[in-house]
Amino acid sequence: MITYEFSEEQEMLRQSVREWAAKNLTPRVQEMEKNKEIPPDLIKSMAKMELLCPTVDPEYGGSGFDAVTAGIVGEELGRADYTASVPVFYLVQASWAHVFDKYGTRECKLKHIPPATKGDAFIGIATTEPGIGSDLANMVTTITPNGDKYVVNGEKNYISGVREVKQYGGGHVTLARQNLRAGTRGMTMFFLPLGLPGIDITEDEEMGREAISTGGFHISNVEIPKENIIGKEEKGFYIVHEGYEFARAIIACVCCGAAMKSLENGIKYIKERNAFGRAIAKYEGIQFPLAEHYTRISMLRDFTYKALHMIDLEQEGKASRMEVSKTVAMVKMFCATWAMQAIDDVMQWQGAFGYNKECPDQAAYRAVRSFTLAEGSKEIMKTIVARELLGKEFITYR
Amino acid sequence: MLIIACVKQVPDTSDVKVDSATGTLVREGVPAVMNPFDQFALEEGVRLRDAAGEGAEIVALSMGPPQARSALMKALALGADRAILLTDRAFAGADTWATSYTLARAVGALGKIDLIMCGLQAVDGDTAQTGPEMAQHLRLPQVTYAERVTLDGKTLTVKRQTDTGYEIVEVRMPALLTCTPPADFVPSTPPFSAIIKAKKKPYEEWGAEKINTDADKLGLKGSPTQVKRVFSPPKRGQGVMLEGNSAAAVAGELFQVLAKGGVL
Repeated sequence: MITYEFSEEQEMLRQSVREWAAKNLTPRVQEMEKNKEIPPDLIKSMAKMELLCPTVDPEYGGSGFDAVTAGIVGEELGRADYTASVPVFYLVQASWAHVFDKYGTRECKLKHIPPATKGDAFIGIATTEPGIGSDLANMVTTITPNGDKYVVNGEKNYISGVREVKQYGGGHVTLARQNLRAGTRGMTMFFLPLGLPGIDITEDEEMGREAISTGGFHISNVEIPKENIIGKEEKGFYIVHEGYEFARAIIACVCCGAAMKSLENGIKYIKERNAFGRAIAKYEGIQFPLAEHYTRISMLRDFTYKALHMIDLEQEGKASRMEVSKTVAMVKMFCATWAMQAIDDVMQWQGAFGYNKECPDQAAYRAVRSFTLAEGSKEIMKTIVARELLGKEFITYR
Repeated sequence: MLIIACVKQVPDTSDVKVDSATGTLVREGVPAVMNPFDQFALEEGVRLRDAAGEGAEIVALSMGPPQARSALMKALALGADRAILLTDRAFAGADTWATSYTLARAVGALGKIDLIMCGLQAVDGDTAQTGPEMAQHLRLPQVTYAERVTLDGKTLTVKRQTDTGYEIVEVRMPALLTCTPPADFVPSTPPFSAIIKAKKKPYEEWGAEKINTDADKLGLKGSPTQVKRVFSPPKRGQGVMLEGNSAAAVAGELFQVLAKGGVL
């Protein structure tokens, strides 16, 4: 027997977030994109709604959401902010605070998580480097024990939220090599506050989601205390995937929200816009892609919530790591591509306006494009699914 | 102190469509929300409850189909202490008179109350009648168009809107207020913890037998209103902006326009 509905609390939360976003977020999206900043008062307002780091234990300021509930918030933010800046802020922090909360030390959590839940700090993720993205085994950043401290050296790049951390405080859940001979088996995860001496931050320009920063940082002989180690030493590679999977599933929610909102914009437009004496919605050239996109995004949405449900089952010991990994990869593989295809057609229906900067759908298109890459490329998702279907002996890169 | 906040679930649109064949509102496919005027009245009621201190209680009351539960759950998340939904097939088809009668009977069943907070009107019908009619059924003093309320013992000081501005009136409780928000009112959206708490608060559904009613005064049977026709008014054309260097010049121009149009 399958129960196939959200709980009353989840429906109420969805409604509450939708109302909050309609009043507080959507009217400010254009201003945010222009100023390239999420206004601090908006982040405070999210904190008041208890939307920051939502899965975290209430002891550290979180709300103790399950993954499905966190996904609902992601979907609603995806609908409301067509530049996906706030959704990225939300999902990156939600995913990595989730891992930090699960595996971090009490001292480090007490120090760094409550400011983030109050909107006074940001928690991000830093694994990517100039020379590596998916190929984590070849990263150059190292972490070395030195007495009761650890010393970190290296460089991270294409990291979300570097300016936000500089502005508000906080840091990044970071992965580095500790045992240099052990490849992915020698990696350690730790929390790196970016305000420490020896960290030099740079910012990049991106094609979309411009209100949240992306950049990198050089790390030169930076000392962190032992309490900042997340999980066991040299076991970071295993737990980093929990964060990635959480983030990938929320990304799929954001894509569903953005695509559905864009289709709704499109439906309104094609019913009102006339060409050759009738509404363009009367033409099958418009109707057929609309039906296909709506169907595809609806299926994606249902499967995305299944993936989130499996993440919740895994927390209860009722689903295996590998099952979760495969299901999330199936969702992440297509979410951005299908959302982009839907948004692309909505832009096309709107003619020249679809390509105009005033058109929300073009911003959504640029934003969603990032999700074919972020938190694991769509190609890596195929590798994961194939690995689970064929067995580890068929892994391409071994 | 016992405060009753009346809330109604309405379609989430000001552009309500009318089924031309049946003359009724088309509700299918339109999400339902709490009437915005009622939310303001409720939030004012919660503020008064908090000001009254320990022992004060606010009960959210609604009449409607079982789906109206969601409006009451939101009322609980916004701070109501308990909620009652009046739901019974016998209540169906009620006009404002039958609705106000039913709500008044439910208030009667709650015992000695101090204050009833209603929205000025519901955005789906816009009659603004149900609150004042309840006051009549319950023989309570009423203040309409209330924008701001302060409490001093058993006396309420109410700032109410008028056609020309505001007036301040005092009323002794028990009383009924119909409320309308000031321009800068921002409705609250409940955070997650309030939603979780709402689920744990008392919620009841009452049928006709619970509130000691006269069956002839309920629902369609108890509704004297005869709806002759319901229709969407034709959309108004574009307005005209008159501009000038002084108020006198614009007034002169306006006079000419009205005279030419045969209005004056």
